[in-house]
Amino acid sequence: MTDRPLPRRRDFLRVGLGGALGLALADRFRLALLAQVAAPAVAGGAAVAAAVAKAQSVIHLFLPGGMAQQESFDPKQNAPAEYRGPYRAIDTKVSGLRFSEHFRQLAQVADRLMVVRTMSHGEAAHERGTQNLFTGYRPSPALQYPSFGSVVSHELGPRGALPPYVCIPSQPVIDAGSGYLSSAYGPFSLGSDPVNPNFEVQDLAPPAGLDEARQARRRALLDAVDRDFKAASRADEISAADVFYQRAYALLSSPEAKAAFDLKAEPEALRNEYGHNAAGQRLLLARRLAEAGVRWVTLTYGGWDHHDNIAQGFVGQARELDQALAALIRDLEARGKFDSTLVLVTTEFGRTPKINATAGRDHWPRCFSILMAGGGVKKGGWYGTSNATWTEPEDVALSIEEFAATVYHLVGIDAGKELLAPGNRPIEIVKGGRVVPELLA
Amino acid sequence: MTCKASRAARLVSATLTLALVFVRAPGAAVAIGADDAAARFAAKELAELAVHPPTLTLAGAEDAQRFLVQATFTDGTTADVTTLVDVRTGDPSLLVVEGTRVIPRSDGATTLALAWRGRSVELPVTVAAAAATRPVSFRRDVMPVITKAGCNSGACHGSASGQDGFRMSLFGFDPDGDHFRITGQLASRRINLALPAESLLREKAIGAVPHTGGQRFAPGSALDQTLLAWLEATAPVDPPDIPRPVDLAIYPPRSVLEGAGSTQQLLVVARYSDGSDRDVTDLCAFFSSADSTAKPDSAGRVTAGQRGEAFVLARFATFTVGTPVIVLPVGLDYQRTALPETSFVDPLVHAKLDRLRILPSPGCDDATFLRRAWLDVVGLAPPADEARRFLADPSAGKRDALIDQLLARKEFSELWVMKFAELLQMRTDDNNRVSYKATLLYFHWLEDQIARNVPFDQMVRELLSASGGTFKSPAANYYQVERDTLKVSENVAQVFLGMRIQCAQCHNHPFDRWTMDDYYGFAAFFSQVGRKQGEDPRETIIFDSRGGEVTHPVGGRVMAPKFLGGATPDVAGKDRRRVMAEWLTAADNPWFARNLVNLVWVHFFGVGIVDPVDDVRVSNPPSNPDLLDELARRFIASNYDFKALVRAIGTSQAYQRSTTENPTNALDERNFSRALPRRVRAEVLLDVISSVTETPNKFPGLPLGARAVQIADGNVSNYFLATFGRASRATVCSCEVKMEPNLSQALHLLNGDATSRRIADGQVVAKLLAQGLSAAQVVEELWLRCLARAPTAAELERVLTQLPTALDAAVLQTALEDVFWALLNAKEFAFNH
Repeated sequence: MTDRPLPRRRDFLRVGLGGALGLALADRFRLALLAQVAAPAVAGGAAVAAAVAKAQSVIHLFLPGGMAQQESFDPKQNAPAEYRGPYRAIDTKVSGLRFSEHFRQLAQVADRLMVVRTMSHGEAAHERGTQNLFTGYRPSPALQYPSFGSVVSHELGPRGALPPYVCIPSQPVIDAGSGYLSSAYGPFSLGSDPVNPNFEVQDLAPPAGLDEARQARRRALLDAVDRDFKAASRADEISAADVFYQRAYALLSSPEAKAAFDLKAEPEALRNEYGHNAAGQRLLLARRLAEAGVRWVTLTYGGWDHHDNIAQGFVGQARELDQALAALIRDLEARGKFDSTLVLVTTEFGRTPKINATAGRDHWPRCFSILMAGGGVKKGGWYGTSNATWTEPEDVALSIEEFAATVYHLVGIDAGKELLAPGNRPIEIVKGGRVVPELLA
Repeated sequence: MTCKASRAARLVSATLTLALVFVRAPGAAVAIGADDAAARFAAKELAELAVHPPTLTLAGAEDAQRFLVQATFTDGTTADVTTLVDVRTGDPSLLVVEGTRVIPRSDGATTLALAWRGRSVELPVTVAAAAATRPVSFRRDVMPVITKAGCNSGACHGSASGQDGFRMSLFGFDPDGDHFRITGQLASRRINLALPAESLLREKAIGAVPHTGGQRFAPGSALDQTLLAWLEATAPVDPPDIPRPVDLAIYPPRSVLEGAGSTQQLLVVARYSDGSDRDVTDLCAFFSSADSTAKPDSAGRVTAGQRGEAFVLARFATFTVGTPVIVLPVGLDYQRTALPETSFVDPLVHAKLDRLRILPSPGCDDATFLRRAWLDVVGLAPPADEARRFLADPSAGKRDALIDQLLARKEFSELWVMKFAELLQMRTDDNNRVSYKATLLYFHWLEDQIARNVPFDQMVRELLSASGGTFKSPAANYYQVERDTLKVSENVAQVFLGMRIQCAQCHNHPFDRWTMDDYYGFAAFFSQVGRKQGEDPRETIIFDSRGGEVTHPVGGRVMAPKFLGGATPDVAGKDRRRVMAEWLTAADNPWFARNLVNLVWVHFFGVGIVDPVDDVRVSNPPSNPDLLDELARRFIASNYDFKALVRAIGTSQAYQRSTTENPTNALDERNFSRALPRRVRAEVLLDVISSVTETPNKFPGLPLGARAVQIADGNVSNYFLATFGRASRATVCSCEVKMEPNLSQALHLLNGDATSRRIADGQVVAKLLAQGLSAAQVVEELWLRCLARAPTAAELERVLTQLPTALDAAVLQTALEDVFWALLNAKEFAFNH
């Protein structure tokens, strides 16, 4: 397969509002094209970046709704009763780091995790918080920012025949999309949930009865039909559509790539170890895809918006999550992929310090917990300590921009680079964040 | 007596060469040699000399104001010659000209005569109350300083939670609150009236003490002096009758700069509620839609960069105004040519292209036009027979005739029913109790309105003031689909006026004119919509409850209903929605008709005159305002006749251009200089596949063979429609319809049931072979079906060589079906080009 770069429609400077038609720019565009064409196909034009990347792939598990830090990775046994919540805290393998009692398996691999206990931002509405965690930017009324996965797709391109950015089972929110970049950099949605016993990625198999000779003839005929039209048109919309045909053919003609989606190839014992539920099977498929070369896999699990009765609503999901995540960490280690696979477990915000009138907790973005592991992240520790009632970080806080800059650093992307938004507006990949050395191995 | 502008005085004996060096921005990239510039400038013939603003009224000792002089040459380019003109003052005792600033001295009226290159313009000046000084004011003087210095921007103290413990209202939407937070919070920590210069507010701003935001202005600067004067006056509260800004004007109205590095100073004048005006250029924040083309500095001087067009904006108080700046390279080889014009839109499009020095692409061929018109006007591919007939028709007027013929078909109105069903969010919704029956009745109501060509203003009036049961009076569903008062008012603004007022819910819109007062005043029209359950539990009755108010979140004032940018009408005893609907659909509403014609325009060109269509704002101006105005004017004059509008567009040369680029228009996507290939939208693509393969669609609730454009419920979808970006109708945003490609689309056409299964089910190839057609004839027939043209000799040969030589009928049929499959996968098929 040749990794032809996607035409960057929005990189063009337009003549209309915000446009410019200087030759210099047309030249710059063509140079960018040439540079990508000339780069080795597998590296996808990212040979330089890949050399410094610790994380070859990223598995991003997002927990929609806002998971309570108190009931998960930052319990406080000694907090006042109206703050403490319903669960006990347990020790983990890392001295001084405690989890809630429903994360027993993760506690056993805590020496592999980095727990950020002082993630902090100012957005207490779901969609705004979610945008923070998917894009590394605070929401703007004027601009939809691209997701991490789309930026990675834009900067590094596909590796081999697999799409660079995949969502399991499908794109969860608009913020997981391509934002101001062309939607060509958006995620590939499987269109089917791996927890489903009949799980099969949509349209990956040729129609029944189509032998290889006919598949080859169809491809030759398509070329015969397309050739003159493509040659006559320089429109980037058309080339972009064509690039996806090439990628589709590359995917279909690569048994290895197709096998990456075949969850049945995993031993039943391992499938059980992850858990036969949405958390387990989605994470297992994510691991398969990451291992096969997908650069960024996004998946979601559960609903964590526990305004009411958190004691009952939380526990079932927490246990499944605990089992699946711990299995993933062990599995990655066993396969020797832990250090090259970055695992991120995020949520849009945490929950209010005090238990509310309906025995739940409300939204709290000022101080909450996320997990990072593998892919160049420091093992067995925590970042930041929340104050006695989780209202604010006691010491250091991790900002959205710092989180984003650190993640991009790990995947080998310069977060200070500017991308072009519509209107020829240069926008930094991350605005002003620093890479946080304490998070790095 | 002659006096000279002081900067110009230095140039008294300067040559033209020196003058040009002077107007170039210091430090700007010097793109051209000074001698070249001089030669170019000197060779230009002066067409017009204009002074801005048209008059000066100086009231009060501090009211110094500037003027600017702009030269327009016969080639359409402009130059800022303010510092080059000779200035003669009629009565020099009244005023002093210092630089470009006119300073009042004593009362009276006179004129300034401004001369350059043998031409002269006059600027009338009135001076009043020249000796009067006015006390320093928080709103008038200090708030602009805070905004100009960026203190209350979203990234600093204007953020919702402030910065480092100090919060101000974003861009100053709450001056009274800001006054309190500065003077009253933290027990006068922020100001020190005993030692005003040592106030923390000032020391932070001038960087005298550590400040996360750094130094915002220098000690002793004009901004600092204003702040200090107010502190020294004991930080007074303004009297309640303090004049408020009511309007803002920016000059010059347009600029065409030639060559990188050339500059144009902007001038911004605010008008106040007491009738006075004020030069606020130094107090504005300036920004550009494209810094690389035209970059303003903080003083409002624009420096030209790369070729293109930019819109440069100035913000002051709650107002944003803008002016277009075109930048052209030096020495462009351009000759305006006589272009055919077949509709009133053409001269307007061509005039803009001429200003940009762009030559449009030539007209497209008949086959391209045929397919384009069918897809756009009726959402179908032309049948093969129709394609044959049209292509063979020698008559000159056949394109116009085709447009008329298509406009008469029912599929024309069905397409627009679909588009408006999107805007009205027609979909079942369990949460809001919008049942399938109600959705269907609502959809049928819309169908009926559009099929009967009910004038659009009338239809929208009925919709927005609808009352009654959602079954008996289906238009009332408008208030059931969305039940939140604020959201309803946002949707009305976005759908019918094309503007997003959402920002102003929480703060004054930073890039537009809308304030929180405007937002909540408009929302008040929708605060008395009553809802109760009908006899049938699936039905809701919408009624005018005559009770319920909207309050302002800052201060809790009850907001009187107020038209956006307009009056506060008397709504006593009336249905507020009806009053609003009358205003909205009135012929003199500045947005309603423009928004509608733009919605139609974007359907035919893929890009709007305002783009995106639902984001009209000061900082997103139309690419061709004259065109938009004329389309709207004629639309209103025709009594909102959709068909007449589509005819004017469809018969224009602008619509009939080819996609072939030329060097002048290769990067133009906003001025209709060439056709832009557009992916066929999801519903139409599925319908076309269905018709060419002769396989009917089946959607839930619709008869077999219904087209996807006829689906009433946004929640009824299938994998094809979802993958190719059909709107879910969850929001009113035009961005819901996705036209960009992705991997899933390619996989679906390659492997999915939309192609192989439909080809097998429809048996089109078998039918054609049964008619006795040869392989080549079948190929030609398929080509006409899918692409509305015959294959070229080269294409036919390439295809035929892939076919088996054996004469086995089944083998041949399979091979020809593979040709059919290839055509359904062709880019030419998926795109309207």
